[in-house]
Amino acid sequence: MSCGGGSPRDYTAAVLGHRPLGDGSGLLAVRCGEIASCAEPGQFVLLRPGTGNDPFLGRPLAVADAAGDVFKVVYRIVGRGTALLASKRQGDPVTVRGPIGRGFFSARGEKPLPRKVILAGGAVGAAPLLFAARRLGLSRIEKTVMGVAGKGWEGFAEWLKEAFPGVDLFSGDGTLGTKGTVLAGLPGTLPADSELWACGPQAMLSAIAAHYPRDGGRILAALESRMACGMGGCLGCVIPTVSGNRRVCVDGPVFTAEEVMWNELSSC
Amino acid sequence: MNSLRADLSIAVGGLNLETPVVIASGVWPYDPVLWSPERLEGVGALCTKAVSLQPREGNRGVRVWETPCGMLNSIGLQNSGVRGFLKEYLPIAGKSGIPFLVNLVMESEREVRENLSILRESGDAIPAVELNISCPNADCDGMAWGISPESAARAAAIARSEWKGPLWVKLTPQAPDLPAVAKAVESEGADALVCGNTWLGMAMDLKRKQPVFRRVTAGLSGPAVFPLALRTVWQVCGAVSIPVVGCGGVSRWEDAAAMILAGASAVEVGSSLFADFDLPRKISEGLADYLADAEIPNLAGLVGLGRKEKEGGRPWAQD
Repeated sequence: MSCGGGSPRDYTAAVLGHRPLGDGSGLLAVRCGEIASCAEPGQFVLLRPGTGNDPFLGRPLAVADAAGDVFKVVYRIVGRGTALLASKRQGDPVTVRGPIGRGFFSARGEKPLPRKVILAGGAVGAAPLLFAARRLGLSRIEKTVMGVAGKGWEGFAEWLKEAFPGVDLFSGDGTLGTKGTVLAGLPGTLPADSELWACGPQAMLSAIAAHYPRDGGRILAALESRMACGMGGCLGCVIPTVSGNRRVCVDGPVFTAEEVMWNELSSC
Repeated sequence: MNSLRADLSIAVGGLNLETPVVIASGVWPYDPVLWSPERLEGVGALCTKAVSLQPREGNRGVRVWETPCGMLNSIGLQNSGVRGFLKEYLPIAGKSGIPFLVNLVMESEREVRENLSILRESGDAIPAVELNISCPNADCDGMAWGISPESAARAAAIARSEWKGPLWVKLTPQAPDLPAVAKAVESEGADALVCGNTWLGMAMDLKRKQPVFRRVTAGLSGPAVFPLALRTVWQVCGAVSIPVVGCGGVSRWEDAAAMILAGASAVEVGSSLFADFDLPRKISEGLADYLADAEIPNLAGLVGLGRKEKEGGRPWAQD
């Protein structure tokens, strides 16, 4: 498959399965061979819960897994669009634009894979890391650390434990796993022959980027942003980087931590 | 688009369009894949993202915000300046074989004069210019050039004196008397009018208890604005003789047909491409079927058909 020459396309696809994970989160399986066969970990889709004009924009959701002609995404209800996605049942049509962006592997360029990778995820930021873990293979994963808020995330935490065997789980209020942030579960230093792949809330990614000196292992962070087009056109999703404004949708969403001007990111 | 059931080609303001579907400024990236003919099926012309004299970083903070059947944007005309455009992007735009218009930012007289003189150096490589007069007038009171007939005419006159090729002027719907602005711009020699641009709106962030956008206001686009845009197209087409390109909320072929019946010669599509890449092809096919079913031989036969006098010979009321 040509995979669109690297540029996304639009598809009307059907929901193949929906697994609620409790408390407004869930796993949606969508049948769309074009996206499933082309997506790489870290890439995302713009998913619209229907085919009409409302909601008008797709919701950016990372590909959580892809096999055969099916890809999966993880959602958590944060507004009307995600609430509508949460109501989807098997056979319902959705509109998908994808696969979009630069994934973890593409963001590394030509460099050979590191000996060890540490995965760090916050909340639904776990999704692309699951897909990354599948592609990396268990032997290359040194450690997996996940964080959630706590109360209200019980079902999601159960899924995390099932999806990432041996995961170190942290929660802000201490009700799930160990009390603390993801940072508490990460090693003090990153050896130069290892990498840290992270996805989660901006505050978590900023904290990780600030924690490690630049001369250690590389940090790859998958960022989120409000966005509209998902094709690099509208410039609605740009973030400040050392080389100027860059688009989260097509220049990212995976950036190396040293590219991003973390202190200048706006907080939403 | 050889399979269309009717001839959709039309001459608009110095350009010969194969279809009346123009991609509006601000939405299409300079991605070589997306400028290939295969990805531009049904497109008659494209407007580039806004080009200013100097590079612009654009606005900080939230830039896009979804609204019912639409969206607000406050991008701030981020672009790499006219020199950057010529070096990096003109080669991509030039390869598609589809006519394109360089959308030009106008903040000051000096800016637009210099910008056009730089564009002139490229000769025939620039098929046409679309002058954006929605920007604040830096020479005067900071109001958009397109708000008053006098300043809009001034803007059009400057651009006309510096650019002999096809010149489209993109009006702003914020003008209190849009037909008067349209007439003023026509009288200064514009080849076509684009009617219009985003509608000024705003959003409030209830969580932070403050406006969503740092600049408070932002431009509303999408299907939500279509009836407003159609009304302005009707009014402007009643006021001028040069071709009018309808712009605002077009998301289906029926919207394009409505604007053309109201007198537009073509339409621009913008944010609805965020929901569907394939919209230009669908609009073109829908229009062609509509013409064929009505046995109207070509698109020109549809332009303004909806303005014909009512039965009994009474003209439509203008307001």
